[in-house]
Amino acid sequence: MAKKVREPGEPVVQFALLDDILNLARANSLWPMTFGLACCAIEMMAAGASRFDLDRFGAGVFRPSPRQSDVMIVAGTIAKKMAPAIQMLWDQMPNPKWCIAMGNCAISGGPFEYEEQYAIVPGAHLLVPVDIVIPGCPPRPEALIQGLLALEDKITGGEDRNLLRRFKRVSEA
Amino acid sequence: MKVKELEAIMLEKFPDAPLSRDETGMTGALWSIIVPISGIRDATKAFWSAGFFLESITALDFEDTFELVYHFNCYEPKSRLVVRVLCGHDQVPPSICDIFRGAGWLEREVHDFFGISFSGNTDMRPLLLPEDADYHPLRKTFGKVSAYHKREEIYG
Amino acid sequence: MAEQDRTEEYRRIYSLNLGPQHPSTHGVLRILLDLDGEYIVKADPIIGYGHRGHEKMGENRQYKQFLPNSSRLDYLSGMIFNHGFVLAVEKLVGIEVPERAQYIRVIASELNRISSHLLWFGTYVMDLGGFTPFLYAFDDREHILDILDSVSGSRLTYSYCRFGGVTRDIDRNFIDMTRAFLKRMESRWADYDDLVTKNIIFIHRTRNVGAINPELARQFGVTGPNLRACGVSFDVRRSEPYEVYDRLDFEVPTGSNGDALDRYYVRFKEMQQSCRIIDQALDLLPGGDFIAKKVPPKLSPPKGEVYAAFESARGLSAFYLVSDGSPGPYRCHIRVPSFGNLNVLNEVLPGTLVADAISILGSIDVVIPEIDR
Repeated sequence: MAKKVREPGEPVVQFALLDDILNLARANSLWPMTFGLACCAIEMMAAGASRFDLDRFGAGVFRPSPRQSDVMIVAGTIAKKMAPAIQMLWDQMPNPKWCIAMGNCAISGGPFEYEEQYAIVPGAHLLVPVDIVIPGCPPRPEALIQGLLALEDKITGGEDRNLLRRFKRVSEA
Repeated sequence: MKVKELEAIMLEKFPDAPLSRDETGMTGALWSIIVPISGIRDATKAFWSAGFFLESITALDFEDTFELVYHFNCYEPKSRLVVRVLCGHDQVPPSICDIFRGAGWLEREVHDFFGISFSGNTDMRPLLLPEDADYHPLRKTFGKVSAYHKREEIYG
Repeated sequence: MAEQDRTEEYRRIYSLNLGPQHPSTHGVLRILLDLDGEYIVKADPIIGYGHRGHEKMGENRQYKQFLPNSSRLDYLSGMIFNHGFVLAVEKLVGIEVPERAQYIRVIASELNRISSHLLWFGTYVMDLGGFTPFLYAFDDREHILDILDSVSGSRLTYSYCRFGGVTRDIDRNFIDMTRAFLKRMESRWADYDDLVTKNIIFIHRTRNVGAINPELARQFGVTGPNLRACGVSFDVRRSEPYEVYDRLDFEVPTGSNGDALDRYYVRFKEMQQSCRIIDQALDLLPGGDFIAKKVPPKLSPPKGEVYAAFESARGLSAFYLVSDGSPGPYRCHIRVPSFGNLNVLNEVLPGTLVADAISILGSIDVVIPEIDR
């Protein structure tokens, strides 16, 4: 009988229904870390403010400390001087943790990437494992909310595992 | 008028320095003077006593020389003046950070981007580049460059 | 005895890092503080964590390709910086801008100035611990962003101003929304007064905190509301009027002490003066073209240099372009006001408490990517 290969980070003992409930709880109370680097930070703040309230998704509690947060939203251009700090902050976050790359700069360097650019790291995926990307320059707050809902969908396992699923992916509609 | 007094002081200190006036307003300044490297401190002291503030220090990289451009302004209308220093690629101009304390950071930035050291400025750490950076990005010998001219091709 | 004293002091002073990631969201600033208990002995701002190479990019881009960069320098006054860059290139090439376009650009810039001050207001009081004004200010700011979004397509980083005018003309909808916004703000000033200005906690945290005297401001090249709070009335819109500012009637508010409370009052009154400017500009708006005809798609400017100064939300900003006749600049230098405004903290912070340092930093209103370029 072949041994089932375990994913890295997957627990040894698995309770299917309990995991589903835990994932539902984690997804609906994602606490982001305030990690605004440049212009996208303002749209992140606007998403947390009165019109596009993030608090109704459970994600309005922006924690400054990485040790108290679940998701790191990399919003803005990553300069080479800042890269070690991002690495350190990611390492300081406790598991389970996720990362959203918000804005063109965090995805691929954005408008600042050209050949022989000396100053930036073209993309957050070169430093931390990114789960969701939100394109835009800067993306509207509604786009950030859609990205957060997509992350929740990823955490809860999509339509296979989540009985309370409300989110419809664009490709399914 | 402060600008006229200062013009007289400058012409007295540096009698054969080229002074070019600008009536069109394109350079944003009333006149611009080229002082020798040794004279920049005297010129700056005169500007400080006349009530001017240092707006910006920047540098231009030409094939034959570096050019340091100091923009001074005062709180009266339309009073910007420019002082230029032509210093070669290996020369070390004196620092003015004890006359205008804000010049400390501006000189650090010029050093970061061009590699021009300023004698007398004790703090020459990198300002905008990483601490271990050993390159000078805005030099025309670094990275992607579209053109590299001599000074008279642009200023005549 | 002296040796013992030295080691005593050496043991007492410790270094603390403020940033580069900290909740007062001004961007990525790091201040290395030497502390004696809660009092700051030495403060050393370390910047560069947002350096993106704008000036090198300027040398590798044509003038029209640099338009998006100009907005991303100081993203809170993106429209004003866009406006300033376009002014610089128009001065260089010699393009005549029609009057309607000038009025439209002034209206858009002043709306941007109000939105920048509103954001500063919300985040500053949030830094001090009051969360409610943040929500009020962002609500008002969303109205401005709706107005600018309807005409330019973007909420934060605009490329609305083009060489010779603007991209698109404003219509009846824009004017109605702007007038409705101005009417709405008339009652909001009283709300903000009740919430914040008369709040005893706010006054205690900002009065006599971080006072800058005019001499210090002149040493460091401080401009903008920080300088006006010291009592010096210096505004580029008055000293070197550009576009139609010389036809509009507005006051330049000044303070007296140069402390954080005066900086707050100056910005508050500036918002009201901007509303006044927009009102007059809408009344005086003429008909006509919104962009100059016959602007060549590939500019060939004469050789030489241009220096265009303008008043952004933070102070005197300028674009310094050196042209060698090609479609792109030979050197593109940007003078930013936050550079001097932050530099002055080297001398203002020592002697204050750490909590006061947060208050001073917030009241200076720096945007770090502008300094880091």
